[in-house]
Formats: sequence, C-alpha cells, structure tokens
Amino acid sequence: MKLSLETKAENTWCLGCGDFGILTALKEAVTQLVEEGYKKEEFVLVSGIGCHGKIYDYVDLNGFYSIHGRVLPTALGIRMANPDLKVLGFAGDGDTYAEGISHFIHAARYNLDVTFVVHNNQVFALTTGQATPTTQKGFKGKSTPEGKWDEPLNPILLALSAGATFVARGYAYDVKHLTWLMKEGVKHKGFAFIDVIQPCVTFHNITPYVRERIYKLEDTDHDPSNLEAAMEKAREWNYDMDPNAKIPIGIFYRAKKETIEEGFGRKVPFYRMEKLPKPWEEVIEEKRIV
Amino acid sequence: MFSSPSVRRSVLIGGQAGQGVAKAAELLGKMFVRLGYYVFNYRDYPSLIRGGHNFNVITFSDERIFSHDEDPPIVVALDKRTVDTHKAEFYITGSFYTPDRGIQINTNEALKQGIPPVSQNVILLGALAKYLGIPKSIGKEVVGELGPLNVKAFEFGYDRSVDGERAGRIPRKGLYFLTGNEAIALGALAWGIDMYIAYPMTPSTPVLHFLAKRKEVVTLQLENEIAVVNAALGASYAGANVMVGTSGGGFALMNEALSLQGMSEVPLVVYLAQRMGPSTGVPTYTSQGDMLYALHAGHGEFPRVVVAPGDPAEAFRMTMEAFYLAYRYRVLSIILGDKHLGESHYTMLKEEFRPLVRPERFYVFPKDGYKSYEDTPDGVSPMAVPGSIPFTVRATSYEHDEYGITTEEAHEIEKMVEKRLRKAETVEQAVSSLKPLDVYGEGEKVILSWGSTKGAILDALKGLKDWKFVKINYLKPFPRREVMNVLEDAKRIVIVENTSTGQIGKLLAMETGIITEDKILRYDARPFTPEYIRRRLV
Repeated sequence: MKLSLETKAENTWCLGCGDFGILTALKEAVTQLVEEGYKKEEFVLVSGIGCHGKIYDYVDLNGFYSIHGRVLPTALGIRMANPDLKVLGFAGDGDTYAEGISHFIHAARYNLDVTFVVHNNQVFALTTGQATPTTQKGFKGKSTPEGKWDEPLNPILLALSAGATFVARGYAYDVKHLTWLMKEGVKHKGFAFIDVIQPCVTFHNITPYVRERIYKLEDTDHDPSNLEAAMEKAREWNYDMDPNAKIPIGIFYRAKKETIEEGFGRKVPFYRMEKLPKPWEEVIEEKRIV
Repeated sequence: MFSSPSVRRSVLIGGQAGQGVAKAAELLGKMFVRLGYYVFNYRDYPSLIRGGHNFNVITFSDERIFSHDEDPPIVVALDKRTVDTHKAEFYITGSFYTPDRGIQINTNEALKQGIPPVSQNVILLGALAKYLGIPKSIGKEVVGELGPLNVKAFEFGYDRSVDGERAGRIPRKGLYFLTGNEAIALGALAWGIDMYIAYPMTPSTPVLHFLAKRKEVVTLQLENEIAVVNAALGASYAGANVMVGTSGGGFALMNEALSLQGMSEVPLVVYLAQRMGPSTGVPTYTSQGDMLYALHAGHGEFPRVVVAPGDPAEAFRMTMEAFYLAYRYRVLSIILGDKHLGESHYTMLKEEFRPLVRPERFYVFPKDGYKSYEDTPDGVSPMAVPGSIPFTVRATSYEHDEYGITTEEAHEIEKMVEKRLRKAETVEQAVSSLKPLDVYGEGEKVILSWGSTKGAILDALKGLKDWKFVKINYLKPFPRREVMNVLEDAKRIVIVENTSTGQIGKLLAMETGIITEDKILRYDARPFTPEYIRRRLV
C-alpha cells in the first residue's frame, strides 16, 4: 500500500511558490525512507511561523507547530525526551536568522541530531514583504522604502563556523535534488542543516538570477570532509545580487561528532521507561536529621 | 541565657562572601536539630562572589518556629565589618579583632597547626558551639561532612572557648531540616520528573544544582530561558515529565511560550522563584511582587494553576500537585516561590510532607484512531505520545480542529475556546479537593496572606489574641467560595505581603468583591519577622 501523507487542509500558498517544491520533496523523502524501513509514526515535523509553517498542516506526520523562531529548542526537547523520533525541522529565514538565531548557533554547536530545513525566500512574506537578515542590500520593501542598508548574512558560513556537522544548500525548484538532500540529512547523525533557496513569487522573486548561476557540488571534485574547502564554496555566493557570483547547491560539509543526545546518554524514550519514583518517605529521608 | 529552652533564641553569623558564613550557619542549624530543637536559618547576602557582607540568622526554640529574629544578641564575626554592622551583647571573633564583650579565638595559632585560613568559619563555629553548650561529640559528627581537617578546626575553636549557656537535649525524633528550593527539587523527584531545564538565575539556581547531581533526572542548562521553555514543551509533547525553573526576568522571557502552552495544551510545570524587582532589581533579596504577573503572564485567555507554598513541606507537596494538575489536565502549573522560601532552612515534620496526589502517567495508547484535541465533556483531551501509536499526534500554536489542523472557521474557534473553558472548570473542581487554603488560629480578625510570609505570621500569631490567619495556597484557581465563607464574619481583614501594593487585596477584590485597605506591606526586599508584624498590627 502506498504511503499516504495527505491531509484535508486547504493549501493556501501562492501559485508557483517554492514551498510546494519543499513539500513535495518532504513527502517523497519520507515515502522513500519508509520504503527503506523507517517508520512513519517515528517522524515528527516541527515548524515555525511564517508561510513555510503551513507545511505542518499539509502533511500527515506527527507535528509541533511551534512559535516564531523556536523550532530548534522545541526539536531539542523532543529529541531529548524520545531519541527514537526522527525530527524534521522546517523554519523560515526570518524565523531562523532573525528571531531565533541564537538557537541556530547553539543547535549546531550541540550537534543536535535533527534535520533542519530553512525555507530561505530572503523576505518576510506572510507579513507582506519586509527584509530579513538574508535579504540583499538595497532591497526596497515596505519597511525599507529607501532600500535595505545592511549586507546579508551568509547562513552556510555561519553554520560551518558554529560547528554544524552536515551543511547543505538546496533549491526549491530542484525537487529531486532536494529529496536526496533531505534523505541524507535524516540519515546523518548530528545537526543536518539544509538552507533552501526558495524564491518568493510575490515579494522576492530571484528565480532568473538563481537559475543562471546555480550548479551542483556533486558535479565538481568538492570534498565535503574538508572544512576549509566548504568555507571557500560557501563564499561563492553571499546572498546578494552580485552578477559575478556562482551559486553552489549540494553538500558543503559532512563530519562525525558526538551529539547532545549521546552526550547525555539518552537512549530510551521516557514514556517507555516506566520508572517508578521512590516512595515520598524515602525521597525526603536525606533531609531527616533525627 | 537560655536555661529555659522554650525561649526563642537567635544567633547571627556574619562575614565576607567566600568565608563560609552560610555553611557555618547550616551546620549550627543541624546541631540544634540534632539536639531536638526547632530551627529556622535565614540567609542574607548581596549579589557578589567575594567580599561584601553576608550574614545568617539562626533562630532556635523548643516550640515550633518558622521565622527569624531581628538583632540577635550573639554574633559570630568572621570579619570586622560584621562587628561594626551588628550590635550584640556577645561577640565571637578570630585573631583579626578583639571585641569589648565576648571571646576571641587565636586563629593565627590554628594556622601553625595546619588548619587553613579558610576554616576560620568552622573554628569560630566550634567556639560558638561550646559557648551555647552544644555537646562536642554532636558538633564533631555534624562537621564531619566537611572532612577531618574541619573537625580539627571545630575542636580547636571548641577547646579555646568558654561556657556560656546550656543547650539541653530534647527527646524528639522525625525532624527534617531543608530549604524550600531543596523541597521543590525533592517534590519533583517524588513525582518522577524526567527532565529539569533551566538557565541560571538567582534564587532558583539551587534547584538546578541540586537536580544536576541526580542520575534519575536529565538536567539541561540551555542558551536562554526562551530555549528552556520551548525545549520543555517539546520534551513534554514527546512524553517527558518536565519542569523549568527561573526568576522574574527569565520568566518574562518565557511568556510567549506560556501562551503556547495554553493553545497547544502541552503540559508544563514552571518554578518561579521571585526576587525583588522591577528589572534586575535586588537580585539576592526577597519579594512577592510577581504574583499578579504570574497569574496573567502570556497573551490570550487560557487556564492555569498557580500554587504558593509557604514552607518546604508545602513546597514538596505542591510541586507534586503542580505536576499532577499539569499532566492530568494538560495545563500550565506555576509554583510561585521566592528567595525567602527558597533559600531559608526550615525544620519540618514528616507528616507535613505527606502528598495529596500520587505519581502517575496519564498517556493513552488508542488502537483505533486518535484526535489530539478531542472535544470531551470535561474539556480534557486524552494525551498520546508521538511514536507510541500508529496515528498522528499534533501540538500547535494556531487555533485548530480536533485533529490539530489549523482553522480560522468561527464555529471551530468557538468550540475550542469553550473546550478550554470547560477544562478550566474541571481543574477548579480538582483543586477544591486538594487544600486551596489553610486557616490557622481562631479569632474575629483576619490576617490574609500567601506564600513565604507564612512563617513570620504563624510565629507572630502566638502573641496575638482574637486573630486568625487565612493563607491562600491556590492563587489560581482561586478558592472563591471557601475564602468568602471564612471572611464572612471578619471584623478586620489585614493583608500581609512582601510588596508595595498589596496584590492579594486586588486579587481578593477581583475574585470575591471583598475590598480591604488594611495592609501591612514590606518592600525593602527583606522578609517579615514576627516582631515586624506585631509592631505594625497595633
């Protein structure tokens, strides 16, 4: 029987939105992983708030529709409580690089074993078009009518320097490649970060710019175990509109490192431990003086 | 001086931070409890690591006591500033200063015997123990927890001291000596807590330290309080019994997620240890100023529980109740403590700890379908753990249908709001069978209070005629009917609170319509003492 991941929720993304590509890749990745032996009920999707967050409604998986910027701490709690669960985090660029950037750095540092997908459309779309930290300098949005004055953040570089052990970039309109990245992310033990270029058809459509410059790291001799080489590749595009930039997608870096779950010796889900606390008389005994 | 042991007596131990004032006081407390006395140990310290002026007041009596005294007659000074700051009848000092009244121990000589300067606190504790008539053997046993070198230091002081008073032995068993923070941590353990998550913040930090040492709980310190509370909700959703701990500023950072708790109905227990605000305020001193805030923190309308323990035994019991209510009814439980309760040592009796709830897990494992937000008559949707059943388990910050799918339909919204309202009523009923309020003493005049003021009020009550004390244990759900009944015939209702505005009076008016302007308030960041209350009550 083919796995069904459909829900009855009405899809309200704009026609042509890159989010459809990410949703399709997610469903395809989970379907393939289940065929390979993963259990559907062991996947948990965590989303933030923004256009991307609606993905929670559109796929029939366990899910936590959390609040803006807090996908990663929510995911951390889930993993620590039940390390059997495969957590897929979905967040926006506003979510991750503005509201929740501290969590992003720390999750990478902890090597939290989740797959974290950022729908990076370089704009706040659900609030109708303001600049985010990854928007290019000079962008004229409703809150920056004279043009955004600051340079964009390069999240690939940030993730590499924060200690992420799987750093990748995908493209929302290359579903097959993105499906592969998500599967690799799930199979990776540790923090698997995938920044997805997801042009916003309404407020930040850079599809032509991207299409002319994109190429796959897998088609080159890039060595993903080489951190310096990964940093070099990350610098090829700084999320600006540089006409001379090249935009690599694929896996920049992959490494092995202890995860926070392993660090705390988490193996058995708490709900299954059936641990019985000591009777209350015994618990207070240590404070009895006479 | 205390030949009659029923006389309430106090000693002050003072010095710089880092000199071991708190440890010496705790050990003295334990010695008196060993002798069968009731002891209260108050800790007063500024926000610094070295230097400054710290002191503890250790009060002991043959009768039950729950508070300390102002200006104790005996002062153990570990530095000169302590002598200058605290007027006393008798001082015990080291080589650094010769007091007019009292005794000086030659601590320089101790150095030559290999006792390090850091043990000055234990040397002077030894001198004090001898002066108070504490048997040497008991002192040595108690000090033994610090190792043999400190036992030697204790004897050094003891042998060079003088006889002063005679602490008698009182044949009494079953005495427990602990702080409110320790009691909250133990209560969580007695419930079977799986995870404690926190960011360090005085005065909640001792709970973090206490639980970090325990193998039976995973204790996590994360990058900030926002991460802490969201991780707690994630863990709770995934089947862990979790508590977070913080103080006012950290609690403020958690607010958005408290509201997420309300919508997602993922169980959450929060320990809020109040300190003097606003803002950074007076970080190591006490206050009850966050009460109305704790009752209303978080945007939107949703049910919650706020318990206010007044001593460690209550803190132990009510922590278990907070877990029970949070996990049984999928609500937010806040344990509202403060620095005074959290960091003072109290002497408690075993029966006072007896819990009113039994540890239990409330998860369901349905075989034929599951709705995360099932619309039930009592408003409580059974909770399943994701991964434990072949059905989808959802938690969401958006308004949702019974399956947890986002909705903006008017009738669906109304249905879910009403489900949460019914749940609030269900929780209110559950709380009425716990102990939502306590009444102490008899009289036509009433002292109304809550939380850590309990100790000073109970001790003040002994010297008062025609007064009773009504203590609110559950600030939410508020025991409206019970409070109205007990206040019905009151000739006077006086509020006692560590705030500048008398928040319990506002809550009383809001919940019952009863208005009182009679208030004894203290807002110098210090806790009440019985004398303070008696003085102001006249």
